[in-house]
Amino acid sequence: MGALRTFLDRIEPHFSKGGKWERLFPLYEMVDTIFYVPGTATAVAPHVRDAVDMKRSMFTVIIALMPALVFGIYNTGYQADPGAGFLQNVMTGGSAVVPLILVSYIVGGLWEVLFAVIRRHEVNEGFLVTGLLLPMTLPPDIPLWMVAMGISFGIVIGKEVTGGTGYNIFNPALIARAFIFFAYPAEMSGDPVWTLADDLTAATPLAVAASVPGDDAVSLVAAAGYTLKDMFVGLIPGSVAGTSTLAVLAGAVVLIVSRIANWRIMAGGLIGLVTAAILANLLAPASENTMLSLSPLYHGVMGGFAFGIVFMATDPVSAAQTDKGRWIYGILIGALCVMIRVLNQAFAEGIMLSILLGNAFAPMIDYFVLRQNIAKRQKAYAKQ
Amino acid sequence: MKVIRLKKGHNLAIGGQPEKLLVDAGQPARLKIRPGDFPGIKPKLLVKEGDHVNTGAPVLYDKTFPDMLVTAPGAGRVVNIVVGERRTVREIVIDLDRTESVESFERFNEQSVPALSPDTIKSQLLRSGLWPVIRQRPFSSVADPEKLPKAVFISATPTAPFAPDTDYLLEQGAAGLQMGLSVLKRLTGRPVHLVAGKNSSSAMLAGLKDVVLHRFSGPHPAGNVGIHIHHIAPIRNRDDIVWYVSLQDVMRIGGLFLKGVLPVDKVVTVGGESVEKRLYVKIRQGMMLKDILWGNPVERDARLVSGDVLTGLQCVAEDSLGFYHDTVSVIPESTRRDFFGWLMPGLHKYSLTNLFLSRLVGNRGAHLDTRMHGSERIIIPFGNIESVLPMNILPTFLIKMILAEDIDEMEKLGIYECDPEDFALCSFIDASKMEIAEIIRQGLEYVEKNG
Repeated sequence: MGALRTFLDRIEPHFSKGGKWERLFPLYEMVDTIFYVPGTATAVAPHVRDAVDMKRSMFTVIIALMPALVFGIYNTGYQADPGAGFLQNVMTGGSAVVPLILVSYIVGGLWEVLFAVIRRHEVNEGFLVTGLLLPMTLPPDIPLWMVAMGISFGIVIGKEVTGGTGYNIFNPALIARAFIFFAYPAEMSGDPVWTLADDLTAATPLAVAASVPGDDAVSLVAAAGYTLKDMFVGLIPGSVAGTSTLAVLAGAVVLIVSRIANWRIMAGGLIGLVTAAILANLLAPASENTMLSLSPLYHGVMGGFAFGIVFMATDPVSAAQTDKGRWIYGILIGALCVMIRVLNQAFAEGIMLSILLGNAFAPMIDYFVLRQNIAKRQKAYAKQ
Repeated sequence: MKVIRLKKGHNLAIGGQPEKLLVDAGQPARLKIRPGDFPGIKPKLLVKEGDHVNTGAPVLYDKTFPDMLVTAPGAGRVVNIVVGERRTVREIVIDLDRTESVESFERFNEQSVPALSPDTIKSQLLRSGLWPVIRQRPFSSVADPEKLPKAVFISATPTAPFAPDTDYLLEQGAAGLQMGLSVLKRLTGRPVHLVAGKNSSSAMLAGLKDVVLHRFSGPHPAGNVGIHIHHIAPIRNRDDIVWYVSLQDVMRIGGLFLKGVLPVDKVVTVGGESVEKRLYVKIRQGMMLKDILWGNPVERDARLVSGDVLTGLQCVAEDSLGFYHDTVSVIPESTRRDFFGWLMPGLHKYSLTNLFLSRLVGNRGAHLDTRMHGSERIIIPFGNIESVLPMNILPTFLIKMILAEDIDEMEKLGIYECDPEDFALCSFIDASKMEIAEIIRQGLEYVEKNG
């Protein structure tokens, strides 16, 4: 431990101003601060500071993602061969999922460091979250090069061209996923992609529910062998870690208790989803569209809604940044998710697009909340 | 009476709270005047090295308003004038003799105040050098004698770490308080708001006249005058002026008019983990920290702060206590680097966020020192800073507009109501380690200059 500190201190002059590797300082700073919290003392008031920093904050998100990831690894193996036993399932799942994460981290990390060096800023910890979120939302047997393409697009176009961390309009992980979704649709939609086994095609519950016009969505899902309990626990085909509402809820508890994610977005999302689903249910008798009859409960546990609203929509940068705005933003995403699922049958899953749309609307929502805040202040000025 | 209850904020659980015990620091041999203490005054010297001054005799005046004086807090010889960069005067050092010769001013009694003209009051305050105890918002500079405020605010419920307890101060003596309030009321003809804590037991406050009494409750910064102004008489624009005076300085104003001499004593607190005795000390204006801490051992690795730990000024022992400061904080200085600190459960990390185990035990066992605990990053709006600002202000957006130098939006978002001290906890809690209070200061300087 002491030796590492001595080593880092010894090589530090090479990276600081005037050193031979001056340009690579962000890289040094990254490694140095991974091992040791910076020892700088406060230079201006306040003279004491909270122990919180960006590393701790982002690390908490990683912890929140762990239940979903661990379950996802198991489920990936389970979907490939339900009879193989727990250990075998974890092994199979791990050998499929770990490479996805590694590729995402390595390729994305290279971009991140490259931009940090060129633009002379620090390597931002938010990447740790982006790099993990992307593979968790992908089908398990997606080719690795597509992951590399996706994360590259997400980091470069989704984040760096608009100014880098903190300035992105859209959630970079979701931009990456959307890129893969639209660029390589064959690997991202349809029935065969959601399990590892080549000879097995498994439709996701959402695809099943929309499959036979005129029928009842719930009975279609039941006929395919998906029970509400399976879907809640997550033992269904789907993206790597997005299937288990239960595991996502565990993560949501971590995020809400730690206040890293804003609960208003999640609550708003739920309200939007339930309201829109009930409205759809009311319209159901008048149409052949089976998705209209899907109850809010089913909407909540099917597909990636839970994962999206808990981990993707709550990205503090691309979400609305006022409390009132966060409610509106969440409700909008929940409602849009149902609308896309129900009304646009080309997309069985609606959460990805609804969050991206929510991201696009977030600045405008904030704009109106801001005007309201200004008006309220003017009123207080007039009253005194 | 209606109590204004604020929820957002935090009282730092910092070790070394001063106990209620008052000692006299005695007569110092040397006093210092620091012109930089007086925001808005462009100092021009009236003395040179070797001159003798009486207590209350002018030492410097303001270039833009020559009637504004800063006067000597003690009688003696000017032994040194320390000049800093670009010939700015950093310090005026006075070695006291034992003559205690004083400049005398007019004396009045409480009954005569209503008959006084505001101009008489103004000139007595200016001549005695006591005027600078009155400051104004926006911009927190020494009050402009030519512009009357819409109200005067006095906080009798300071919530900053180690701040002197009002009830205890009043127990030690409240001579001059009523006189000071009446003088301020007569001077301005506008409401004088006195804000007390919810639990302030002092019956004295309730019996005061010429004053509007308010009660506020809540964690720091609920006792800051900026928060009171925001909730009682918000500042609408740059010409909407509010004055504020500290409670002890109101008593000093009263003392000046009652006794006809410049009062130079005040009671301050000494607090912090790195000093042996934490208590109340009666000092003279301009005393050096080493004299205030005389006979009170300070640990080796300690930071001396003139003022409270959230807003004060880092000092050395030879520096004088700031003109507006009533706390000496002595806290542990540290640059220790924790191995994998961001990964550990953190039972001994002080945090207002729920990210460390220490939160479960209310940060007991956590010690605050001078470490930043992280490196500066791009601001990510987690909502931390909003949780410690009890104002209807959206800090994230205000900060963005300050960085973008958009004066119009800054004004709309309420920059004139802001003061760095009210944003100190935002700097404290921010995960990206941005100096938010400093950004607010920059924003205010920018609109003051260019608005």
